[in-house]
Amino acid sequence: MAEETTYTRKFRKELMAGLSSLVLLAVLARAGREMYGYEIAKAVKAEGEGGLIFKQGAIYPVLRSLNALGLLDSRVEASAFGPPRRYYAITDEGRQALHDWQGAWTDMRQFVDEALLAGAAQP
Amino acid sequence: MSAGPQPQTVRAYLEALRRALKGCSAGLIADALADCEEHLNNELANKPELGEAALLASVIETYGSPEEIAEEYRSMEATLSGPFPKPEPAPSRRYGFFNVIGDPRAYGALLYMLLSLATGVFYFTWTVMGLSLTVGFAILIIGIPFALLFVASERVLALVEGRLVEGLLGVRMPRRLPAAASGDETIFARIRDALTDARTWSSMFYLLLMLPLGVVYFCIATIGLSLSFGVIYAALWSLVTGESHVQIDDAPWLQHLLSTAPGLLLLVVLGVMAFFVVLHIARGVGWIHGRIAEVLLVRL
Repeated sequence: MAEETTYTRKFRKELMAGLSSLVLLAVLARAGREMYGYEIAKAVKAEGEGGLIFKQGAIYPVLRSLNALGLLDSRVEASAFGPPRRYYAITDEGRQALHDWQGAWTDMRQFVDEALLAGAAQP
Repeated sequence: MSAGPQPQTVRAYLEALRRALKGCSAGLIADALADCEEHLNNELANKPELGEAALLASVIETYGSPEEIAEEYRSMEATLSGPFPKPEPAPSRRYGFFNVIGDPRAYGALLYMLLSLATGVFYFTWTVMGLSLTVGFAILIIGIPFALLFVASERVLALVEGRLVEGLLGVRMPRRLPAAASGDETIFARIRDALTDARTWSSMFYLLLMLPLGVVYFCIATIGLSLSFGVIYAALWSLVTGESHVQIDDAPWLQHLLSTAPGLLLLVVLGVMAFFVVLHIARGVGWIHGRIAEVLLVRL
């Protein structure tokens, strides 16, 4: 991947800041079971080309903040491999939030697409 | 982007992350290190064919460099208000003398001071009993298992005390037992980690220290509360019933003043002021104790 300018990287980062919560909720809702951080990181990477933009390390603080907001449940379980694992599962409140955010995302995407198309139509 | 050479080992990576998080609250650093350690160990376990250095290079691509990760955690802590207590700026600058009445931290600290006698006695008894039984059992076959059980119980106690300190004093504390340092999972490696972890021993010292500290805290809290409320109550009682309970033989003028209504009102005001002073003292003690707990209970 070509080296990006600082402001492009900043733009991507700002775009992802809100969307990462949406993506993580979607992953956990689709899984329908509890998952631990690394598992989620792998699942997010498999989502598509966006995987590379989204550093895996960034999901952990987002998971913690979603947990603090009550959108995710978490529990810690001792693991045979090294440190204990923290498992996350989506709560009912989280599903509701996911539903609302999807609506917000659809509106937003439509708005942005229209703005970009209008820009492209200009000579 | 990167500052200096990139880390080659898991340990070096964690160390770099810790440096990048410098200045954050100790609990946040512990959380971030635990998340990172969990991820890196999983990577190691999944790709054993890669060397540690090669793995770390790929990790920095996919997981992010220590500086990037530190930035994520900082922004998370900054945006999140609520369940995570924020690091407190020096309290005296933020509040006036009377505003302390609305500061939940002062009441939390007061409650902690009242509880600390009971917890302090328990911690001390448990630790001293455990230590002496460990020495006594050392010559027996059960000596080593007993010593290990005792060390494990001390680590659990330290965790519980950490939760108490975080709840009442608002200092971020670890939310889990200290993790094993590396990916090895054998029970012997875990035991070795627990015994070589400086935090195990500093926690033990903290639990012993809680007896004298608890006695002092409890005395300050009970004396302060009973003095201020006692004075308020006695003055109000005298005002209402007209009976005087204040006996000061050495100073007849004071005795006279305190049997008149203005004198008694003055006494009520003094009692209320004393209560404010107690709240200030409680907040100060809470702050100091938070620092002590941070130094002794949190592994960095």
